[in-house]
Amino acid sequence: MAARLAGACALAALIAIPQVVTPYYRSLTLAILADVTLTVAWAFFSGPTRYLSLATGAFFGAGAYVTAVAGSRLPWPLPVVAAGGGGAVMALVVGALALRLRGPYFAVFTFGLAELTKHTPIWYETSVTGTVGRLILAPPAPLVLYYTVLALTVLAVTTSVLLRRSRWGYALVGIGADEERAATLGIDTTRVKVGTFALSAAFMAAAGAAMAPRWTYLDPQVFNPLVSFQTVIMALVGGAGTVIGPIAGAVFLGLASEILLLKFRYVYMLALGLTLIVVVLALPSGLAGLAARFQRRPSARQEPITPL
Amino acid sequence: MKLTLLVDIVGAGLMTGGIYALVALGLNLQYGLMRVLNVAHGEFLMIGAYLTYSLHTAWGVHPLLTLLITGPAAFVAGLVLHRLLYARVVAESESREALESRSLLLSFGLLFVLQNTALLLWSADLKGYSYLSTPFHVLGTVFPANRLVAACVALGLSVGFYLVLQRNLMGKAVRALMQEPEGAQLVGINISRLHGLCFGIGIAMSAVTGSLVSMLFELTPFMGLPYTVTALVVVILGGLGNVMGSLLGGLLLGLVETASVYLVASDIRIIASYAVLSLILVLKPSGLFGR
Repeated sequence: MAARLAGACALAALIAIPQVVTPYYRSLTLAILADVTLTVAWAFFSGPTRYLSLATGAFFGAGAYVTAVAGSRLPWPLPVVAAGGGGAVMALVVGALALRLRGPYFAVFTFGLAELTKHTPIWYETSVTGTVGRLILAPPAPLVLYYTVLALTVLAVTTSVLLRRSRWGYALVGIGADEERAATLGIDTTRVKVGTFALSAAFMAAAGAAMAPRWTYLDPQVFNPLVSFQTVIMALVGGAGTVIGPIAGAVFLGLASEILLLKFRYVYMLALGLTLIVVVLALPSGLAGLAARFQRRPSARQEPITPL
Repeated sequence: MKLTLLVDIVGAGLMTGGIYALVALGLNLQYGLMRVLNVAHGEFLMIGAYLTYSLHTAWGVHPLLTLLITGPAAFVAGLVLHRLLYARVVAESESREALESRSLLLSFGLLFVLQNTALLLWSADLKGYSYLSTPFHVLGTVFPANRLVAACVALGLSVGFYLVLQRNLMGKAVRALMQEPEGAQLVGINISRLHGLCFGIGIAMSAVTGSLVSMLFELTPFMGLPYTVTALVVVILGGLGNVMGSLLGGLLLGLVETASVYLVASDIRIIASYAVLSLILVLKPSGLFGR
């Protein structure tokens, strides 16, 4: 109940924010909302199953390209919807191949995928169209963008809550705990994994499509591997096995990155690396795990699942 | 096809492949032995390259002599990192999967730290120096002499290391550990000491490769990751824990890449190596030479 109340208050504040603050803070909030969407969507799949996906940047970039290519032909929210659909289809194809792999192989494969999707448009644009980038003509108004991303964030968080309570969510946790046992218990592991991977990719691609008009000019650098890594770090710092963890991690590190990245780029990235090392060594279940440990110390059953 | 083109491709391919073999051997030593996938492997190559650059331009140390500094320095750094980070994770992780993913994340952290330290120290501008860029004639085509030297040193070190593993007792222990970790423990091999040692040697190989690479190309702090990916492709191509496989896989990938650059286009190179990686992972995860 308290969680629901807090959620409603946060939503009301987020709806009101662009009406009262300066464009700088609106754009800051927008960037953090996008981080939250990506991180929550990443945690749909990678949180419970412990499959470490580094493909976030690939889906995000592909979504941004949908807006760049089709944005001027379709009325506004349609590019976002189309990108979501496209991301899901892309993830279905990739997932069917990649999800046969486990452990670091899966991580390496998804990372390779991200680089492949980055270099393919570079190669295509230089050898076929002869250009490198694309202009986004007639971007929607900043307020429209803000509410689009906010809607995506709300949808992602709601999905994450519903998913955790559903049979599907339990199946995912089961896969993370012991995939063979889950299969023996009658869970169609391939369908559950590929389906969830596609669902999370749909949100990532939609977020990319919704954020693309901010840049007005788009080139293949939008397939930034940093997006993939940052999402993982945000989720792990917060704790990938809970609903609130990815949100907390994304807000915390999103704020840090927006404030520090431009001024002290290298120092920020260095600190990000150190944070990751410390989290892995000292906080295997993130900030949320730490909070849970303090709240209910005696009962080990209530601990959130250790994400990785 | 003309003979000179063939000599060009094979020559350049083997030279690139020699470099790939050495950097891949270093990665294989870490992954094959400890199941620690060190994605910061290429960052040590980058640091090695910058160290050679700085030693050469600031104090005039001969580039080949810097290998005697970068190698041991990286070895010590590897021992320390193993003790501080990886040994702890190995000891704490309850399952192999947990170990693999946690050590992967650790090395991503390390990647960020090393890359941005280099950016702070040496800036993002391209750096380079010229060493032995005199032409060298072979069978009607020309190669720069520095590439020949670098490739010979790299291949010499790789083959030398292979022979060491075959001949002496420590090599036997390493091979035993790669093939059968539990069995090796049962016959009294001190695993944690060997892990640290091999982690150090692996990182030293990467740094030494970096010193060699600095003689050939301009340096940027971002040069590490492509080498990590290449090394991964080679390790997966040749099979995990398979030292000879890494050697042959490195040469093979060098040839494939060079051929694709000569015959198709230069920007196809990265796409080609990722495509090889993805195909091998999906079709034959045990590697071309795997059992």
